[in-house]
Amino acid sequence: MELVFRNKIFVLTKTSKMKQPIICLFLLTSLGLSAQDKKSKVSVSGNMGVTYEGYGLNRNPTGWTGYSQRKPWNQVRFTFQPTITTPKFSLPFNFNFNTTPTNFIGPYAGIGKQSFGQYITNPSNNFAVNPKYKWAELQLGTQYLNYSNLSTGDVGVFGAGFDLRPDVWRLKFFTGVSQQGVNFFSGGANGSYKRKNWMAQLGMEKEDSYALLFNFAKGKDDKNSIPLPPPGSVLPQEGFTMSVVGKVNIKGGWYLSTEGAQSIYTKDLFLPTSATAVTIKPFLDGNTSTVKDFAAEGMVGRKSKNFDIGVKVKYIGAGFQTVGYPFMQPDRMDYLLNTRFNAFKNKTNVTASIGQRVNNVSNTALKAKQFIGKLNWFSQINDNWSVNINYNNFGFQSNSGINPFGIKNVSNDFGIAPTYTWSNTKMVHLLSLSYNYSKYDERDVITGLTTSNNTHTGLLTYVPSFLTKDLTPDFSVMYFINKLPGFKTTLATISTGLALPAMKKKLQLRGQLQYTFSKNNTFTANNNFIASCTIDAKLNKKTTWTNFLSTNYFKHGNELGLPFIGANYLESNFRTGLMYRFGK
Amino acid sequence: MKKIFYILSILFFAKNSVAQVNTNLVLSPNPPASLMQWGVSRETLTFIVFPSAQGIRGEYKIKTEIKLSDGTVIGKTDLNKSKTYTLSSATTIFNAADVVPLESMIFTGKHKTSLEKSGKLLSDNYEICVQLVRPPDFAPFSEIKCKTFYLAATQLPILMKPYNQEELDYDIAKTTIIFRWTPVVPKPKALVTYKIMVFEVLQNQNPVQAVRSNFPILTQEVRGVTQYIWQPRGVVDLSDNNVKDSAMQQRKGLDGTVKGGSKKYVWIIQSFDNLGQPLGDGNINADGVSEPTVFFVRQKVKDIKIKDTDKQ
Repeated sequence: MELVFRNKIFVLTKTSKMKQPIICLFLLTSLGLSAQDKKSKVSVSGNMGVTYEGYGLNRNPTGWTGYSQRKPWNQVRFTFQPTITTPKFSLPFNFNFNTTPTNFIGPYAGIGKQSFGQYITNPSNNFAVNPKYKWAELQLGTQYLNYSNLSTGDVGVFGAGFDLRPDVWRLKFFTGVSQQGVNFFSGGANGSYKRKNWMAQLGMEKEDSYALLFNFAKGKDDKNSIPLPPPGSVLPQEGFTMSVVGKVNIKGGWYLSTEGAQSIYTKDLFLPTSATAVTIKPFLDGNTSTVKDFAAEGMVGRKSKNFDIGVKVKYIGAGFQTVGYPFMQPDRMDYLLNTRFNAFKNKTNVTASIGQRVNNVSNTALKAKQFIGKLNWFSQINDNWSVNINYNNFGFQSNSGINPFGIKNVSNDFGIAPTYTWSNTKMVHLLSLSYNYSKYDERDVITGLTTSNNTHTGLLTYVPSFLTKDLTPDFSVMYFINKLPGFKTTLATISTGLALPAMKKKLQLRGQLQYTFSKNNTFTANNNFIASCTIDAKLNKKTTWTNFLSTNYFKHGNELGLPFIGANYLESNFRTGLMYRFGK
Repeated sequence: MKKIFYILSILFFAKNSVAQVNTNLVLSPNPPASLMQWGVSRETLTFIVFPSAQGIRGEYKIKTEIKLSDGTVIGKTDLNKSKTYTLSSATTIFNAADVVPLESMIFTGKHKTSLEKSGKLLSDNYEICVQLVRPPDFAPFSEIKCKTFYLAATQLPILMKPYNQEELDYDIAKTTIIFRWTPVVPKPKALVTYKIMVFEVLQNQNPVQAVRSNFPILTQEVRGVTQYIWQPRGVVDLSDNNVKDSAMQQRKGLDGTVKGGSKKYVWIIQSFDNLGQPLGDGNINADGVSEPTVFFVRQKVKDIKIKDTDKQ
């Protein structure tokens, strides 16, 4: 294959699928750098880089599997995000991709070797170009488009579309593939069907003033996209959601925002159609597994420099499901009152919220209620003293159902953190003490007995700052104790860090040491030692080389019993990366 | 007299032959609330038709009725639309897709509305009765077999702590982070296994993208409890702090103070039954994953330091 580009001929011989994105990256880099030549009209901003991360884990004794891998053994990530700008035109690139798939959840979970299509649409990788001319934007590649809270926003789609914003008018459309077909593999991939999506928005919007927007989002699996249906619960699905959003901001900082949405969702495209099935032509032909429900949310409140107040209500119907928010939890109603205010010449800041969440709304017998209460209070008492206080309460209660007693869990957390600072001509000292008390009560649904789980955490931090030197050390000591009937965990951590520049500030060094002593009940103590360092080097005005190395050694006491008394592991993590910044 | 004798004899033999088609109904006592899910989980309902010992042949339909505990019928098979089967000389095993064929079931009242909205019947005690009938007059062809069951839609856990957008102090979080969540409702008799997973949200990622693509820095299973105390041991770090264009986010505080760097994480809970199957009762992903929750780890002390040193 031959490409002619800026009078240069590139010959693409047969390459592996992995190399193709790298070649594209090279070509686009050439474009970016050439564009920078015309300084008067064209500017390039953004960055590009490459990072390698290596991970190692050694466990002793051999055969002990009590500690699992926490990162991929080897991973290389590429970033390419320049934006070429002219007075009327901008061309941002957003390429982020890696060499090793690490999917655990979702359609690509457990995937090994990927096809080109799977690589392109894997959520690990982004390949997007969004050329923009005045009010018209072309969207190409992977896009995570957030149209509204109830239609679409959490799913990346690889495809093409546009976003037109002439004056107050809004017209958006995008279509593509959000997941490829993945064959089920025993012990590997869960399997998935290829899903095609489209979304559209139509309406009017004036920023910070008003909006009236109609959203449509559709996704449909191709049930013939994989030769054998995956076993278990992976089913080909189809969903269509439409919503209307209304927003208005009025004088005095008052605002009102609402959205109402209707979803129609087919849970299994293999099931037969039925004359009574829910259908909305031409968007979706239902079958016996098709459900239809609605959702709504509304917010009203007032914002100002020193005082905010707002009420938020959200209802998600039991059958409301949208392909744009795959993890959205249905069948619930939330209402929350939020406030924030500054007082005493801005030296006191308070944020608070109180509300309730009702789950299983449609299920009168098992309706579950969750109380939500949060408070954070910060006061700068004088030049030396400040204090932060926080309190959170989450209570959850449901009816008994088939059990003798209903569920009742209450989580209470209280924290206070006074800080004292003092200084002289050479140093600023900071001493901070924080104490947190956490109580978690849980009722047993069979016996009705409530068990209390109490946690106390104390932290003392000292940070001296030298005004005449560039050293920045810090020291901290933490004590943690958790008690529940029959079990007690104690932890004590000492840590220290130091940051300093070197080589005329071209090198920034940071190091940290941490030792933790932990003990469960009467077992002998576990010991943990962590050391890490960061070395950032400024190679030139635009290029930075970053390095990170950490090691974590943990040795168990006798809590694991024979033959694993004294079992230990050594975990290491190494990261190095080059980052180039475009523009001035 | 002879004619009457013949008629009585035919009726007698017909009755006996009907009684000789034996069936058996097996139903899980706590089936999924989603009726569509009955067909997916084939072990939910099994209806066995044994061959006739007398060698009787003929066609039949499966007549199903779903009743409330007071006997009110809330759903039944539309026999005019339902499938016709031929009695075989071998044992025939049917599952929920054949016995409760949603395409030919008629539901009434609020149960019909509930099914259209969510695909689930309302939480209650029910009885299902199944019988073979002969077309075209739908005369009984077997005895009625009934089973009672309790339906309750499974609600996955809600993540309580860290709550959504909570900022944790790095100096504490590097040693320990407490996770709490609500239990699966209704609480099953067997212990539920909860798998806690934490993912780092990398630069340019949204939280759900991180969940669907990144390697989890924590994967821990616990059984029957709704709290887990995690000791991150070095994996929660602010190592790339101060690196421009990194995942660290410079954030403005309420008082206008520029706060220190923070890292974004997202955590989820995946719930499994005692057989290792994900719970969720027909949720969109069918993987038992609760709604993800985002939290930040932030060096809080440094915030105040920046503010105070600015004053010097």
